[in-house]
Amino acid sequence: MRTLKMLGFVLSSLLLGEHAIAQADFLAGIPRNEVLIAENPEGRITNSTWFNIWVVNHGSNSNGLQQLGLDTLWYIDADAGIDGVWDNSLASEKPTYNTDFTEMTVKLRDGIFWSDGVEFTADDVVYTVETQMKNPSMVWGPAFQASVDTVTAPDKQTVLFKLKRPNSRFHAIFTVRWNAAWIMPKHIFEKQPDPTKFNFNPPVTLGPYTLKSFDPNGEWYIWQRRDDWKRTTLARFGEPGPKYVAYIDPGPPDKRVIMQLNHELDIIHDTTPEGMFTLAKQSPSSHGWFKGFPYAHPDPTLPSVILNNEVEMFKNRDVRWALALLIDMKAVSLASYRGAATISAIGVPPTGLYPKYYFDPLEDWLKNFEIDTGKSKYKPYDPTVAQQIADSLRPSMGDRIPKDPKEIATAFGRGWWKPNPQVATELLERAGFKKEGNRWMKPDGTPFSITLLVEGDQRPVMTRAGTMIAQQWRQFGIDAKAQAYPSDFFPRVASGDFEAAMAWSVETWGGHPDLSFFLDSWHSEFLKPAGERQPPRNWQRYSNPELDKIIEQIRAIGFDDPKGVELGQEYIKLAVKEMPMIPLMSYNVFTVMDTTYWTGFPSAETDPYTDPVPNWANTKYMMVKLKPAQPK
Amino acid sequence: MLRVFRDLFRYNREFAAGTILVLIVLSLVVASFFSPYPPQDSYVVPPDVPPCWAYPLGTNSRGQDVFWQLTVAIRNSLLFGIAVAFLSRIISLVIGLVSGYTGGLVDRVLMSINDTFVVIPLFPILTLFYFMMHDHMSWTLLALAMASLGWPYDARLIRSVALSLRNREFTAQSVFSGMSTRQILLEEHLPYVLPIVFSTTMNNINWSIGLEVTLSVIGFTNIETPTIGTMIYWANQHTAMVAGIWWWVVAPVATVIMTFIGLFLLSVSVNEFIDPRSRLARMGV
Amino acid sequence: MRTYARYFLRRLGQFVFVVFVGINIVFFVTHATPVDPVEQAISSATQFGHSDPRAVEIMRKALRELYGLDGTIAQQYVRFWTRLATGDFGPSLSAFPTPVSVLIRQSLPWTVGLLFTSTLIAWGVGNSLGGLAGYYRKNRLLKAVGIAATGLQPIPSYIMSLVVLILFGYIWPILPISGGFQMNVSPDLSIPFVSSVIMHSILPVLSLVLITIGAWFVGMRSLVSNIVTEDYVVYAELAGVNRRRILTSYIMRNALTPQLTGLALSLGAIFNGAIITEFVFGYPGLGTLLVRGVNSGDYSLVLGIASISIVAVATAVFAIDLLYPLLDPRVKVE
Repeated sequence: MRTLKMLGFVLSSLLLGEHAIAQADFLAGIPRNEVLIAENPEGRITNSTWFNIWVVNHGSNSNGLQQLGLDTLWYIDADAGIDGVWDNSLASEKPTYNTDFTEMTVKLRDGIFWSDGVEFTADDVVYTVETQMKNPSMVWGPAFQASVDTVTAPDKQTVLFKLKRPNSRFHAIFTVRWNAAWIMPKHIFEKQPDPTKFNFNPPVTLGPYTLKSFDPNGEWYIWQRRDDWKRTTLARFGEPGPKYVAYIDPGPPDKRVIMQLNHELDIIHDTTPEGMFTLAKQSPSSHGWFKGFPYAHPDPTLPSVILNNEVEMFKNRDVRWALALLIDMKAVSLASYRGAATISAIGVPPTGLYPKYYFDPLEDWLKNFEIDTGKSKYKPYDPTVAQQIADSLRPSMGDRIPKDPKEIATAFGRGWWKPNPQVATELLERAGFKKEGNRWMKPDGTPFSITLLVEGDQRPVMTRAGTMIAQQWRQFGIDAKAQAYPSDFFPRVASGDFEAAMAWSVETWGGHPDLSFFLDSWHSEFLKPAGERQPPRNWQRYSNPELDKIIEQIRAIGFDDPKGVELGQEYIKLAVKEMPMIPLMSYNVFTVMDTTYWTGFPSAETDPYTDPVPNWANTKYMMVKLKPAQPK
Repeated sequence: MLRVFRDLFRYNREFAAGTILVLIVLSLVVASFFSPYPPQDSYVVPPDVPPCWAYPLGTNSRGQDVFWQLTVAIRNSLLFGIAVAFLSRIISLVIGLVSGYTGGLVDRVLMSINDTFVVIPLFPILTLFYFMMHDHMSWTLLALAMASLGWPYDARLIRSVALSLRNREFTAQSVFSGMSTRQILLEEHLPYVLPIVFSTTMNNINWSIGLEVTLSVIGFTNIETPTIGTMIYWANQHTAMVAGIWWWVVAPVATVIMTFIGLFLLSVSVNEFIDPRSRLARMGV
Repeated sequence: MRTYARYFLRRLGQFVFVVFVGINIVFFVTHATPVDPVEQAISSATQFGHSDPRAVEIMRKALRELYGLDGTIAQQYVRFWTRLATGDFGPSLSAFPTPVSVLIRQSLPWTVGLLFTSTLIAWGVGNSLGGLAGYYRKNRLLKAVGIAATGLQPIPSYIMSLVVLILFGYIWPILPISGGFQMNVSPDLSIPFVSSVIMHSILPVLSLVLITIGAWFVGMRSLVSNIVTEDYVVYAELAGVNRRRILTSYIMRNALTPQLTGLALSLGAIFNGAIITEFVFGYPGLGTLLVRGVNSGDYSLVLGIASISIVAVATAVFAIDLLYPLLDPRVKVE
């Protein structure tokens, strides 16, 4: 007994003494106010010493390597950009195509140096393309192989691409939207016998930071600002504020909230809506993209109900529309995002500058759009759905909910389809489905059942939305259920081994209205028959000659041609009529920034200069805007 | 029979406490059949309401009444745990007793099989098994899989007891008096082994519920069926602990603890009662 | 001695058999999963950025060759065993081309350290308390401890870890909650490194101990309460032997043998308890490595980890079996 008491005393005095140490010395040797700590959503990196980002399944993309260490020709911002949406990074101007889009010329900047003092030249670009073409197991190798015939460097600052076939958007491969084809340092890689076996540790960087230290177990990576940061492309905007940037594996969503409350994590990549609300309540120094509800940043991605159009029961448009008319978007928004969703009824995400290009111009057309069921005519669009969601939240959230209709439109979206079981019934009956008692039967007599694939706890919000949608279908009499596949979700979707899935097949630039980023892959020339794997992004395996025509017309015009917006609007109208997949909302990421140590983060109202989500390579632009919040 | 129970209840405090706890849990299970909400539906009541008169255990972030969810959850988890424990008890008893008593080649063969099952790491096998089955995965299949993986630990334990029993005098005596192996095992050895079997049964129920929770937290089970594991899974999905919705997590955990302690107290007191010497010891003789 | 030598040889044969069969089972199960590492690699490479549908086919072929997934399963089987002879599990498919053995070597010490420490503490403390509780039946403090220990047992490890995290990482933030050691410290045998390792291991060990201590306590208590009724114990008590001596030399010594077996076997539960705890605390052990391997269909990695654990547990069981007859004289060796 006595020994126990002694032990207790010793232990408690030890622990109390350790308090101060645990708090202040979070990073050994680096003052806290000189380092920006961000979350790496990849978690713990298995292949921690691997920095050769060009080999498939290498170590990590977003441990700081693509955000701070590498660079390429152009960047497109998902929001407004520091100085406009388009940034010429390593290139000094926009790409120049010949008239039939079979050649592309690029002019490069000069005065840019690698971190080991070697100058960046066109030879690096040529080396990047040629090496990967020779090694198709490198990430961009297959893409280069498919498009590039030859690449040459007529002089130190010019690169000339000759393409195998006309491609008006070939430059997209070098344009960063999350990532792009990074430029390899020729002088390092050419010394290696096999570039696919070289781990590039430590990496020689082209961006404004170099690698300072990292955890051999892959839990943290610390980057340090280069002394010669003036010789990088980011210097045009100023000096990067944080001297050090650390990317860490923060663990489960609960722990991320705790860490930010302890001021040990400056940027949370994503957490649950509840975690966000807790931070909003308890931490006045934390803020999201929006000052108030819904806080989250709407990424230019469109989560939808992907219906497999090669499955017999979904081949008929009436069935697809009926399923859409059974979904109550208000309930889905509440269930998935607790109301913090930005909804969209059409096939583009309601983010960045798209409201201006697509949502406002089409609002009237949507209001007048009519469905003819044969028995009745119905106008399904309800422009007030987002407002209804906002109004329903006001009693519990008070003035965190905006009142101005324009603000509501930006934060919550505009309208969606009004649920109507009667019209759905008529559509299904026209398609040959019959209701027997409480259950619906397919035309062939078997029960109408749908399994809706969800990803499980890797993407909790989508899982919740899927569960709610399955419930709504179930209440109508369809035998629907949600099933979680945490590990092989994407491969299953790609192989077409599903009926319906909560995923996204629409991803856009965000700042630029061009839709080819996803739309080009929806052309029927890429469609694979059932049983074979479908390349991204036509997960719904839909084909339509009208759609093909639109796509081909887009291919024929330049990237910045204003006709592109018109064609985009035609695609949207076609997608509404045909409903190949059911768009729901933008992918809202609850990125939370703590202003205790750093200020200058992007925000929707005051300075929407980039997407704050820390794994986007575009976040390098944040570094020049961040300033220390605490005086030295 | 009834008189024995009544006496036990009156004089043995542990038995009384255990019975009460188990009865509470059983009444929850019975209540589950009267739930006013379909257990798989969400958003049927306003979310995140703390415990109050209308909602005795509050509501969760999915708009479900925690109390009614709990009743269905404990029913499913208990059924699952009992099924796994029952199946694996049978296997481990048979193998443990036969192996420990017979010895020789039979023992060695059985123990080799046993050890093979012991060394196989459970978690990756179960996950991989899940992948193989995925579309046909059901609770019954999972129970069967876990039962077939959960017996070796206890079989060895039983075997070690059987081993020492074999060399005792009363065993030799039974052999000399002409009892068959089966008779000896059932009538002489089983009562010795039963106390261990009871505690291992509870360990096993605990283990299977724990494994079910681990798999559910990762999302490998059917997340739409309410069980203790999936309740915690959903609470985790909504970061309930950090958001302050503690009743959502405390309710299932407290119920499981109650179940476990109740069963434990029952088994301890019944054990004591069965063995005449400890019964006498309790009476102070 | 001759009989013991024969026993040893027989058990050795059993050991080899068990390891062989175990690894075979894992091999076939891992190769029977429908998760295709090539498809996983392609999805992760094309998930976010720009992708060209024409390029995907080219990539698929290239990866298949690179990973050595060509050849029938029989060829892969032979390749596996020949490599295993040199202790090489091949390259990891999700972290190509780093060899699996390197990945395991990095993570193994962390898991071993964590589990060894927590198991020993739980075993030692649990058994002592359980023995005391089984012997001193009437002691109320011990009864309360018993209820507390049993009460802690069914708490799922996720909840326990989270509660420990909130208590000591947030409400009373005195201990670090993330990682194996402090950031920006290099992992050599220096005082800052070693002390930060110890500090970072306190919370994970604590949550593991709290969960597992109950089982040892309960097991020991029921064993002891059985032994207490044995004749020789009653005789010793009547003969006036010191109570504490009875407890340690007479009772615990006999109760320890099955508990020792249990100890060896619980090393086999190495992953279940560790995975969730490691995940919550960001502890760089084998548990999280294994989960990633399973999730990405990296069967080389899963096979490697599973094989190591099979060998480790089989060795522990083997060692226990050899010690058994030496500890308990009633057990005859045949």
